Amino acid sequence: MPIHPLRSLPLLALIAATPLAAQVQPAQGLPEADVAPQQAEPSPDAQPGGAGDAPQGQTEQAAPEGAASPEAGTEAAPAGTSVAQAEAEAQALVERPAQPQPEVGADWPFWGGDAQATRYSPLDEITPENVAGLERAFVYRTGDMPSAEADGKYSPETTPLKIGDDLLMCSAMNILISIDAATGEENWRYDPGVPAEAIPYGASCRGVSIYTDPAAAEGTLCATRVIEGTLDAKLVAVDAFTGDPCEGFGENGTVDLWQDIGERVPGWYSVTAPPAVVRGILVTGAQVKDGQAEDAPSGVVRGYDAVTGDLVWAWDLAAPEANRAGPPAGEVYTRGTPNMWTTAVADEELGYVYLPLGNSSVDYYGSNRSEAENAFATSLVALDATTGEEVWHFQTVRHDVWDYDLGSQPTLLDWQGTPAILLPSKQGDLYILDRATGEPLTPMEELTGLPQGDVEPDYISPTQPASAWATLRMPPLEPRDAWGFTAIDQLWCRIQFHRANYEGYFTPPSSDRPWIQYPGYNGGSDWGSVAVDSQRGLIIANYNDVPNYNRLVPRDEVESVPIHEQESGAQAGENAEGAADPQAGSPYGISVNAGWRNEMTGIPCVRPPYGHIRAIDLETGETVWDRPFGTARRNGPFGIPSYLPFDIGTPNNGGSVVTAGGVIFMGAATDNLFRAIDVETGETLWQDVLPAGAQANPITYEVDGRQYVMIAAVGHHFMETGVGDWMIAYALPQ
Amino acid sequence: MTAHEIHHPRRRGNWALTTLAIVCLLLGITLLAGGVWLIVLGGSWYYGIAGLGLLLVGVLLFRRSFAAVWLYLAVWAGTVLWAFWEVGTDWWAQMPRLVGPTLILILVLLCIPALRRR
Repeated sequence: MPIHPLRSLPLLALIAATPLAAQVQPAQGLPEADVAPQQAEPSPDAQPGGAGDAPQGQTEQAAPEGAASPEAGTEAAPAGTSVAQAEAEAQALVERPAQPQPEVGADWPFWGGDAQATRYSPLDEITPENVAGLERAFVYRTGDMPSAEADGKYSPETTPLKIGDDLLMCSAMNILISIDAATGEENWRYDPGVPAEAIPYGASCRGVSIYTDPAAAEGTLCATRVIEGTLDAKLVAVDAFTGDPCEGFGENGTVDLWQDIGERVPGWYSVTAPPAVVRGILVTGAQVKDGQAEDAPSGVVRGYDAVTGDLVWAWDLAAPEANRAGPPAGEVYTRGTPNMWTTAVADEELGYVYLPLGNSSVDYYGSNRSEAENAFATSLVALDATTGEEVWHFQTVRHDVWDYDLGSQPTLLDWQGTPAILLPSKQGDLYILDRATGEPLTPMEELTGLPQGDVEPDYISPTQPASAWATLRMPPLEPRDAWGFTAIDQLWCRIQFHRANYEGYFTPPSSDRPWIQYPGYNGGSDWGSVAVDSQRGLIIANYNDVPNYNRLVPRDEVESVPIHEQESGAQAGENAEGAADPQAGSPYGISVNAGWRNEMTGIPCVRPPYGHIRAIDLETGETVWDRPFGTARRNGPFGIPSYLPFDIGTPNNGGSVVTAGGVIFMGAATDNLFRAIDVETGETLWQDVLPAGAQANPITYEVDGRQYVMIAAVGHHFMETGVGDWMIAYALPQ
Repeated sequence: MTAHEIHHPRRRGNWALTTLAIVCLLLGITLLAGGVWLIVLGGSWYYGIAGLGLLLVGVLLFRRSFAAVWLYLAVWAGTVLWAFWEVGTDWWAQMPRLVGPTLILILVLLCIPALRRR
């Protein structure tokens, strides 16, 4: 296999030069002394094979026997302990010091830009003054277009990394690709062969992660590796410079995440987000297809050794102690628990990983949920990534029956002298929490006297937390917000408004009549997340402003069947999420009219705007500017494009990049435009019409002193923005 | 020949007037029915009233009565007042409120030559 030692040099030199090397001491610079005990103590006793304490002795007994004969190993181990568990326990004892992190600038080394996930770049060649001159530098096509079976299910959401001379990305069906960052020429590709039946709701691969093994010799195969999670629930690791599978990682470069999950049902359990890498541990959750059944795959979050692919720990929120090293032989991780489908953020310094959790598998009915589910659903959870133990959690919705999954990747920042984490939510609230304790640093408020409805009044919480610092949420809807192109379709929507239950934010689900959920499950802020410009002290947040029109469907009226009872995922992905989900095991199915669209015309039942972009003062939480985002050019009644160039404000999916040059880059809207926006004013400075929707996060990087901006024009089935495989790079003319 | 020349434009005017009358009747019936439903649900009375007005305008147009113009002007003026009271200068929100009624206003005004003055 060809190895390119020279190509790896710039990356390694860059890592060696980073000032983070000064932060290798884990507890250094932290104000809270009580944090230290929660971290991995860099103690010599913790070396594997060192002076044995109890768990180590166990490991030494079990592992060699297990290697010879799995059955014997299981018998020899203490009751309920499997070989895998013993191995994981051994893994957990490996000392894992903080490693220097690559920096954003010439490179874009993390899905969120830098290790803090700020989506801020220090590049400043492109400015508001010269941005109008941007031209396409190259266009690369991944070649990954839907097969007949995958037609209408593509939402690639592609965001590459840029490392050294290369752009590294995964396509919709998880083909790993490296291209030259200056020319778009393909270096290599690796196809893990994901079958179309594995597509859960959309074929998405938001991004990849890289890991450089500090122990590996420079230039050896897989010293720097690219890792992705796949739709068929595998972790795949290949060499960053050749694309060859990392043979020492799992089975020939692949770790099977279906291990200990239960019955293998394609499309029910999929990874769409890049794994977080903390102290040499890959942390991943998975998307559990919403609304199928209470008895669904577990939401377990697991940590794997980035070099060997061995399980280091599992965090099963309903059995954190018992299943830390994997479930006992013959059992599975706790079924139906809240999962993490979106992107976590790693904190190399503290050794933590912050998990934005979603909701239980049955989103809209909660009376059957366990106490553990109730405690953790829709929470941000900080785990000690070296041990898999929970440090703190922060819940954004109590007893969530609205599918208000935390969809955004949080951002690490220093807030008024405290290491902090910024958490955006689908409800639109922005929270800033102490990274070490999870305590809010910005003001909170308590909503009280909320309606509890008739379906499960004892379960619905009469109180909810909210951010009193900053929220993207708009005032409640009123009948006058009903909309249409004529008085007649507007009247129809107005009738629907009055026929529904609606008592404002947190109106509980109902079955006798529909209910209006506002904001809907698309946010607020979704997976595109927010960008943070700490130089200017601004948060850049694009967001949706769209209600859903829902109804709980009594069991005897439910026609859809859960995914594991379908013939090979026949219904998968055909409907918008929740459009008609069975929620098997609960008394109700769920019908969701996402965006509350008029059945007759297809246009929304409430007036625009449906999407905005806002700049928020990082000190005060106040809005600096806010405007509708997305033109009406591709939208109109009966699906006919109106070609109206006005910023009506469309739904948007995908985040932004903010640069030191003073320019925000963003696609996201349903108008298939890619734009440059003035960070000071919010004005559009430049735009380009794309061949398909840009429901993806852009990146910016530099090669030979020239700044590039890249966006994926790949379309999105749910956003109805076509389908494509274009990766488009822009730069100023030379 | 003379009779024919006079008669022909008149027939075309009749045809257009009848079409507009049917449109007003259908829109009026639809708005009235939906508007009554909305009133029963506790919503705005605008649609029911405007629907009734439009229905009567349709009837008057069938009768070639000039009163159709005055009545429609009243419906349109009431619509504009109501629309600004509800949503002010939010122009996207004004689209369903003002565009259709104003188009009909233009058509009604164009029919004036074909209507009988008293």
